[in-house]
Amino acid sequence: MAELRRWQHRRAPGEPVSAETRESYYGLPVIHGPHWRWPIVFYFVLGGLAGGSAVLAAAARLVGGRWARSVVRIGRYLAFLAVLPGPLLLIVDLGRPERFHHMLRVVKLRSPMSVGVWGLVGFTASAFLNALWQAAEDGLLGRRGVVRCIRRLPDRGLAAMSLLPAFFLAGYTGVLLGATAVPLWARNALRLGPLFLCSALSSAAAALSLLVGSGPDVQRVRRALERVEQVALVGELALLEAVQRGSGDVVGRPITVGLEGRAYAGARASAGLALGLHLLARVVPRRCRTVLRVLAALVAFGGAFLLRAAMVFGGRCSAEDPRATFVMTRGERH
Amino acid sequence: MNSESTLVGRTRARPGAFGFLTDTTLCIGCKACEVACKQWNQLPMDDFGFTGMSYDNTGDLGATTWRHVAFIERVADRQGRRPTRLQPFQSHWLMLSDVCKHCVNAGCMEACPTGAIIRTEFDTVVIQQDVCNGCGYCVPACPFGVPALSPLDGKAHKCTLCYDRLKDGLEPACSKACPTDAIQFGPVHALMDRAKARVAELQAQGVDARIYGDEALGGTGGIGGLNAFFILTAPPEVYNLPAAPELPQRRVLPAFLTTALAALVLGVATLLSFWRTKEVRHG
Repeated sequence: MAELRRWQHRRAPGEPVSAETRESYYGLPVIHGPHWRWPIVFYFVLGGLAGGSAVLAAAARLVGGRWARSVVRIGRYLAFLAVLPGPLLLIVDLGRPERFHHMLRVVKLRSPMSVGVWGLVGFTASAFLNALWQAAEDGLLGRRGVVRCIRRLPDRGLAAMSLLPAFFLAGYTGVLLGATAVPLWARNALRLGPLFLCSALSSAAAALSLLVGSGPDVQRVRRALERVEQVALVGELALLEAVQRGSGDVVGRPITVGLEGRAYAGARASAGLALGLHLLARVVPRRCRTVLRVLAALVAFGGAFLLRAAMVFGGRCSAEDPRATFVMTRGERH
Repeated sequence: MNSESTLVGRTRARPGAFGFLTDTTLCIGCKACEVACKQWNQLPMDDFGFTGMSYDNTGDLGATTWRHVAFIERVADRQGRRPTRLQPFQSHWLMLSDVCKHCVNAGCMEACPTGAIIRTEFDTVVIQQDVCNGCGYCVPACPFGVPALSPLDGKAHKCTLCYDRLKDGLEPACSKACPTDAIQFGPVHALMDRAKARVAELQAQGVDARIYGDEALGGTGGIGGLNAFFILTAPPEVYNLPAAPELPQRRVLPAFLTTALAALVLGVATLLSFWRTKEVRHG
């Protein structure tokens, strides 16, 4: 038998019961919240990392010279490795995991989850092909006939082909959250996709700049990655601010107070700090730069994680709040 | 732009659609509908909790509660004043037997990624239990908080409008059991005509009555109307119903467009930084 249900009263101490029934039904939630927890947070983070890495690898292959090959190689491997746990996390989260393949029986363009499943399949296929080509190129697969066939695939074509699914995977999760009745997500439906995209790109650039190691062109590679990271961080900061302001006091409450509020503030502080550290790295002596840049990358990556956690768990809080739902469904601005 | 008065009583329900009219002025809060629903659909008992704030210990609709009678004890008006005379109906009580609204455009159905949620030949919305894989996306996609995941079998459940009974030409269990005909079952357009007549009658008696579930109230924002609709005598929020809910899927295309725009900007920025980054000189 499931545990005894506990009802939460949202009445302020000293206020009579009648106060609750004036504007809501005893302060009980109007809508049902999502059941999503940590598996979904990790999927969002890894999906962003995978999508962002694939974008960077593809851009480096398409317009970068030989100097950018380390980004292509590591970006392709990282994109494939980061997306691999994704389907497993999603399947674990299902109420009936053994029926995961029911997702593949329809295509529904108005359901971001249905489109997302197909996007994930497409991305995994393109990331696999890119990683396979790279492995063949790097000689990891030996020199047999099959490997020669793989290497005959058009490399730039594979890179160009991976751009669309990569951007899709990094951004669709924001659209998925926005297409619900959860006030916090619904109010920010137009901002969450771009926000998740920025955060995906900044975290992928941060991860790659840590992983490129030491090659002859490593300084140039780091510079290019930092430029991307800075653009993405500026966008992320602006969107984090826009989400907070656009939500207003009532709808934005979950990302202002409590643990989720602290996570959101942490995400914003991380993006600002990472940006600040990059700027600082330009003026300090050379030997301090590496430390600052490693620190900036770690902070940016942590911020991407905090952002996903704040939005997923904040949505759960938002659904519990009848005032937020009523504010949304009256078309009021506050 | 339509003025609200032209939308009152208007629904986009398809011809031949079946639904409920739940007239709260006739409800006596006997909970026969809750019991009949549980009996017919063999729904297990809810966790036996005590809400401690009203006569309502059911709380809300859920995976094992497809009819829920809300009890609102009106000890004060909206300004906090104690009433000095009784209302003609239900006195100081408001009772509402809540149920799945079987929306004309249903958020849960559009969200469902497996196609488990379908529209039947009676124009009702039903979750096919042999298809549902418990992804839970329909749960937050419903603007009324109707579907829920069951901890017992991991799947989403909600009112089927007694699909099995309709197939055999019987009316749903809840409306069959209702002793005061507060729950009426029939073709939606006929019920809507009846509701309009009833609201006019109530208003003539000085009751602040309204239809919830037409395009003016409840069936707003792309939902197009509710096949299971209500007659209320207080603002919808008092019954825990949103006044102007929106179909969440209306936001899908705009959200994909802003995301695509962001992808374009970031893509150009990424290409530029790999194209234009010059070699770094040592020293």
